[in-house]
Amino acid sequence: MKIVAPISSPDEVVPLAEAGADEFYCGIVPREWSERFNNSGVNRRIFGNLSTFEQLSTAIEQAHRRERSVSLVLNAPHYSEEHMVALLELSARFADLGGDALIVGDAGLLALLAEEGPHIRLHVSSLLACRNAEAAAFYGGLGARRVIFPRDVTLAEMAGVAAANPDLEFEAFVLNDGCVFEEGTCHTIHLPGRLGGPICLDRYGNSYARADGAKLSAAESEALAANDARYEEWLWYRFGCGFSVTEEGYPFGPCGLCAVPEMAEHRLSAIKIAGREAALPRKLKSVEMVRRVRDAMAAGGDAVSLARGIRRRPDLCDSGYMCYYREVLTRPAPTL
Amino acid sequence: MTVQEKIEGASAAVVTALSLVDVRAVDEALGRQPLDRLHFGNEFCETLLPSPGHVAAAIAAAERRGLGFALVTPMLSDGTLERLRPLLPMLPDGAEVIANDWGTLHLLRRAHPRLVPVAGRLMCKMVKDPRLPSAEWARLYPHGIHSRAFGKLLASLGVARIEMDVPPFAAAADFRSRTMRVSVHAPYGYSVKGRACRIGSLHQPDGEKFSTGHRCRKECLTYVADLSRPTTGTVDLATFQRGNTVFYRHSPAMTSVVQEALAQGWIDRIIVSGDWNENRCAHQ
Repeated sequence: MKIVAPISSPDEVVPLAEAGADEFYCGIVPREWSERFNNSGVNRRIFGNLSTFEQLSTAIEQAHRRERSVSLVLNAPHYSEEHMVALLELSARFADLGGDALIVGDAGLLALLAEEGPHIRLHVSSLLACRNAEAAAFYGGLGARRVIFPRDVTLAEMAGVAAANPDLEFEAFVLNDGCVFEEGTCHTIHLPGRLGGPICLDRYGNSYARADGAKLSAAESEALAANDARYEEWLWYRFGCGFSVTEEGYPFGPCGLCAVPEMAEHRLSAIKIAGREAALPRKLKSVEMVRRVRDAMAAGGDAVSLARGIRRRPDLCDSGYMCYYREVLTRPAPTL
Repeated sequence: MTVQEKIEGASAAVVTALSLVDVRAVDEALGRQPLDRLHFGNEFCETLLPSPGHVAAAIAAAERRGLGFALVTPMLSDGTLERLRPLLPMLPDGAEVIANDWGTLHLLRRAHPRLVPVAGRLMCKMVKDPRLPSAEWARLYPHGIHSRAFGKLLASLGVARIEMDVPPFAAAADFRSRTMRVSVHAPYGYSVKGRACRIGSLHQPDGEKFSTGHRCRKECLTYVADLSRPTTGTVDLATFQRGNTVFYRHSPAMTSVVQEALAQGWIDRIIVSGDWNENRCAHQ
């Protein structure tokens, strides 16, 4: 199982490779794009991108020297026709530099790249929200080689899709992406903090009503308030337990570490660490955690126990609110 | 408020469809205003995929009134796709299936050529943030709904109609397609949807709340939440959450844009939200 790590600078390739990363992904917003379109819409992140093809070339060279691959993200939620034409050119340039795969978040662009783009691997981004075997088959028919599952799928769902599509590779999230909603159906913008920030972190208040027009009973109001309190608690976990880390620097927050052995059983070929814009120490510690779990699997050890104990906060793990794949908690409890 | 009043300016040539989620609302809603079509189901949650009995009842209600029929489907996991399979043979020839993922469209193309596939609004992506202070923000990510590549892909799956929301700061040209017929939802658009459901967790034990594919009691049929936030110096669209999805209500400016697109003939169908909205009995 390959560990897929994010980079935002070519300088990150060597340390992350030494920490255990097998594949890298990155974004680029070249100056000519910004000048032409006056935006950074090559991909969905405004920050954390490379800015020159020289940087991209260096990253690819450094990765290949260590027998690692580099994928380029083209994962904006959608692209205009003019953007797609520009992305064909950008993709060709990436391929000329020796890049290995394109991660594509728009179905139209995926089809266009398959027909008119460079001969290069195409990976289906989680933005395309592949949740069933028919969709995976459709993407495979378009020319995709790998499907990256969205975060909100279960292990059983992934297993079913993978089993029905043996010719495709599959990748799943393992650490750090804390979106509350599904990224494939999120049509908002991460606004600056003064305008509210990401919508799932914005300070919305809820005022409930019954759809039948009847007044809420006291018991209903109480139950709704209690549920909202749990929701606030879940948000805290979802956003990195207050964006905190352990003494060793291991990040808390969205995590699928103890599901890694089961994902391997289900023929997933890669696991993804999110967060291109994060600082290098966070990326390094994330890769280190995943590598330790994978090493334990390879050595025939109790990888699940290691995964649940790695941050030395079993109470946070046991809440289930940090989990991408909470169903793992229903499996027999490991001995810590 | 009647459907016609909600549409405000739709010409006689425009087809009016009423979308309903709850089978209990069908007879009451259909009896209240002239309509051309009934769209039954929900785009946003797998749990709300109707049962065979409810689909049969909705089809019968539509047939009694001579209405066209569409089954509305959400983004589907394989488990729910299995629940959809037996519903498809129940649909009359020429019925539409509003598909909201590529797998559903693929299945329809492969196995159900007598049905009419439609690309639902979850597939027609564009920036729809109710908080945007200006149109400049939406231009960061221009949509490609009418791009050659997207149209060609849809056509390869037999799709000739798409459903769109009205985005904040929309222009009439947003609805002009070279190849597709365009339906538009009114008077609400959706902004963001999750799979973990806040209200659907209401009756779940704490450890099972907000998890992927958790159980629920369809609390979304009972409760709706008005959303408001501290002022940021800008004016938000009216916002509410129903089930796992955040919606916004069209502003007068957005309604004007729809009227302009209707007048241009770029929109030929309006889908009015029947029972999936912000207030009591909004289908009346």
